Amino acid sequence: MNHKERFRLAGVPVTHWIAVVAVITLGLVPLTLSLLRLWAVTGITPLGALLNVHEHPGAMEALKFSVLEATASMLLTVIIGLPLAWAFGRYRWKRLRLKRALLFLPFVTPPVVAAVGFLALFSPDGLVYRMGFDLRGGSGIFGWLATVTGWSNPGHFVALVLAHVWFNLSLIIRFVEPVVAQIDPTWEEQLTLLPAGQTRWGRIKHLWLPLLGPATLVAATYTFFFSFTSFAMVKWLAPSSNTLESLLAEMGGTAGIAGYRIETSLAVLGIATLQMILMLVMLILAGRFERRHSQVLSMHQEVMNRERHGPPSKPWAWYVNGTIVLLLAPLVSVVIASFRVRTASASGAAYRWTLEGWRRAWAGDFSTVPVVDALTNSLTYATMTLIVALPLGYAVASCLVTLRTRGHRRVAGLLDSLCMLPLSMSAVMVGLGMVVGILRWFPPMFSFPYLPVLPHIMLVLPFVIRLMVPAIERIDPMYAEQAALLPMTRMAFWWHSRGSFLLVPATMAASLCLAFSLGEFGATFLVVRVGSWDSLSILVDQVASRPKFDPYVFPTAMALATMLMVVTLLVLSLNEQVRTWRSRHDL
Amino acid sequence: MRGIFLIMLLLLVPLSGCLERLEVATESVECIPVEPGRTGDGTLRIITYDIAAFSEEMFATFTNQTGYDIEVIRADDAGGILETMLQTQQAPQADLAVGLDNTYLQTAIDFCLLQAHSENTTAVDSSALEPYGGPLAVPFDRGDVCLNYDESIVDGTNLTAPTSLWNLTEDAWKGKTAFPSPLTSSPGRAFMVATIDYFENDADNTTDAFDWWKAMAENDAIVTSGWTEAYEIHYSGGYGEWVEGHLGDAALTVSYCHSPGVEAYYSGNWTKSTSVTLPRSTFHQIEYAGIVNGATEVEAANAFMAYLLTEEINRNMPENNLMQSVLTNATWPEADGYRYHTDEPTLNAEITVERIGAEMETWLLNWSEATV
Repeated sequence: MNHKERFRLAGVPVTHWIAVVAVITLGLVPLTLSLLRLWAVTGITPLGALLNVHEHPGAMEALKFSVLEATASMLLTVIIGLPLAWAFGRYRWKRLRLKRALLFLPFVTPPVVAAVGFLALFSPDGLVYRMGFDLRGGSGIFGWLATVTGWSNPGHFVALVLAHVWFNLSLIIRFVEPVVAQIDPTWEEQLTLLPAGQTRWGRIKHLWLPLLGPATLVAATYTFFFSFTSFAMVKWLAPSSNTLESLLAEMGGTAGIAGYRIETSLAVLGIATLQMILMLVMLILAGRFERRHSQVLSMHQEVMNRERHGPPSKPWAWYVNGTIVLLLAPLVSVVIASFRVRTASASGAAYRWTLEGWRRAWAGDFSTVPVVDALTNSLTYATMTLIVALPLGYAVASCLVTLRTRGHRRVAGLLDSLCMLPLSMSAVMVGLGMVVGILRWFPPMFSFPYLPVLPHIMLVLPFVIRLMVPAIERIDPMYAEQAALLPMTRMAFWWHSRGSFLLVPATMAASLCLAFSLGEFGATFLVVRVGSWDSLSILVDQVASRPKFDPYVFPTAMALATMLMVVTLLVLSLNEQVRTWRSRHDL
Repeated sequence: MRGIFLIMLLLLVPLSGCLERLEVATESVECIPVEPGRTGDGTLRIITYDIAAFSEEMFATFTNQTGYDIEVIRADDAGGILETMLQTQQAPQADLAVGLDNTYLQTAIDFCLLQAHSENTTAVDSSALEPYGGPLAVPFDRGDVCLNYDESIVDGTNLTAPTSLWNLTEDAWKGKTAFPSPLTSSPGRAFMVATIDYFENDADNTTDAFDWWKAMAENDAIVTSGWTEAYEIHYSGGYGEWVEGHLGDAALTVSYCHSPGVEAYYSGNWTKSTSVTLPRSTFHQIEYAGIVNGATEVEAANAFMAYLLTEEINRNMPENNLMQSVLTNATWPEADGYRYHTDEPTLNAEITVERIGAEMETWLLNWSEATV
């Protein structure tokens, strides 16, 4: 055994094995400890709690509402998104990169910013309200609908579904557009010569449906998944209803305390178990669809395809460009609302322009953390998430690829599944793992200043690994063989055989880490209930939640949301600049 | 992915007997002083919720006067303060808890979470010391939780102001009331306590508060998680009608007897909201400051409690914290109708903090069952 082999196990460096163990531990321990804690406090097993979940007030209503809103969000996302992705992938568009970036913008927008953005859009001073649609109140067509059907607050439901569609449209683009853009154009041409391809419906049935179906199913499943576990949007846009996720968030802070509110601990145990099982089923389905999707991918030059189909027709141009403008509306609304304040009197309410919201947001008032502290916390958590998650994710991905290439496929599969465990938990459940699993068992952790970094790392790691694995697999082993012949240090060897090829996926993973951590809301929401780890996302929520006797509360919250949005976009653009610069100079 | 499923199934397998149930004995337990959770560094750590009474100037003045710096640990609400204290009982993170009210205080006392203070409470009005006047906490602000209604709807023609809580179970009020849940809201909890006293002292001995709550649920009463949702979104008589997301489907909700005064104060002496002050349907809510058992900076905590009770801080509670001062001869401000629109309860619910502490868990369970 040579020196190089001595520190390896199955060809994987020991340090990478340590990373794998760390990632699995991080994913398993908080969840297991929280289940054990709830079990210990209630004296009832997770299975027992699951079987009694229907007895808890609101649990079944929350399940019903979660399924309904997620199904509606999924269907509407597909209806709006599929033609959008098809047209966007097929034609030659001016400023394609900019348009693609704008279409993906909602997905990286912090959920709390999106939520208050929609709130501003639907408010009496907002664009949608001015157009005659009172989604948040009970007047107009939605009031009529409520009276006729007996359905309480239909406007809330519609507002929530629209916000979910806004958030998830990029998923359809992400999965469907590449298929359309890279499809072999001769298939369509050949089909038109056949009897089955003479009509538009025939071409849809025999070409587009089989081709786009799997990709659409993957995107639809993930849309359902994200809508089912959405929290900030439900909290702000459908305040009269609960999803399983928002119910958990509401009760989670009280759970797991011995001798105190045991019925709440029991409800949390049952609901968390139910939520976890449902999420696992969704992920298994998404995984199956994803495998079918990868089988139908046809690689063809995208640029040539777009040239072949030429520029879009006017209706398609209007549809795509119009959608992009609509996608920007909630974000613009946040900025505008930060400068608007209401003045109320017996004669009604009026709105005027003001800078007071910004002044108050910056000055703070001691009932919440100062904005500078919240911003510092957010940036610190994001940086730490990046510093820890990126190398850990790389090490795990490298380990998995090595195991597969050396024939240990079953071991690699099992480790992969274990590392993906946090995917089966929603953000609120991860927060619950921290509060009930970590803090309740180890109270000294209350004084750990970087506690929110743990859930952020947990939640982002599976995505980093998923980005890194295919990137490492694509690297030709020839580079390592050639570099091994040259006299160079270990670091230089690693760089020339692997590191330099991973710059693009690593920068994408870094963007993901930063955007995710800056915008993370669900897990931190639960953690800050019991301590001072306030991030900018939490501060927006806290200020917006205050009693609004004082008319400046809303513009102050909007000013904070604008700050969070700007910081997120700045960090992401900076990262994108670095990626572009490195791609240009190194590759 | 199948691997994950197997692991999760294993986690869910009922291995009864593997875990001993964690239980805490709270009755007849003599409290033992807890060792300080950290070493003293001249910084007073206060655990509180997003209380509006604190300001930069206030903290700066305290630091100048005493030399102690202040660090604030913010929990979500009064319940969050109690829960954090319960969890950090053996390793206390804070020196002073500010914001526990008289529906939570006894639980904190029963769990030995507080230690005796040395603050002189002679400046405090005796009525503020009635619910609890012991050595473990001092009151710093108060207000009466009561029902508020919209005078433009409850005008004697469309709807009539209730003269009994049973009136609210009548058809005319169907779907027109909103209540913050006592499970998750302090005012909601306070009002639930008031209803218990109200129905224990009414003429009818065959029904209790939970029969009323059941009837209210059957009359489509709206239950919200917090006060904000009930008042801002559902209540038609408050500032909510100018707020994003307002529904205005409830003509009556739970708030404070001085909420109409606050409405007027912020709207140029105008409001259409007023309060219901039926005897025993109101609850005198008092918020307390108490030194944490195991606090490091005990002297600083005592100093801050004294500071909270000074004239300059406590007299300004109505403007700064929208609550009443606990000092003797405290009055509501005259400006913009604050005092004019504030109602005084005729007779507040009379339930001791000891009874609240002992029975709250049962009441919450009964309430949950009644309102399902």
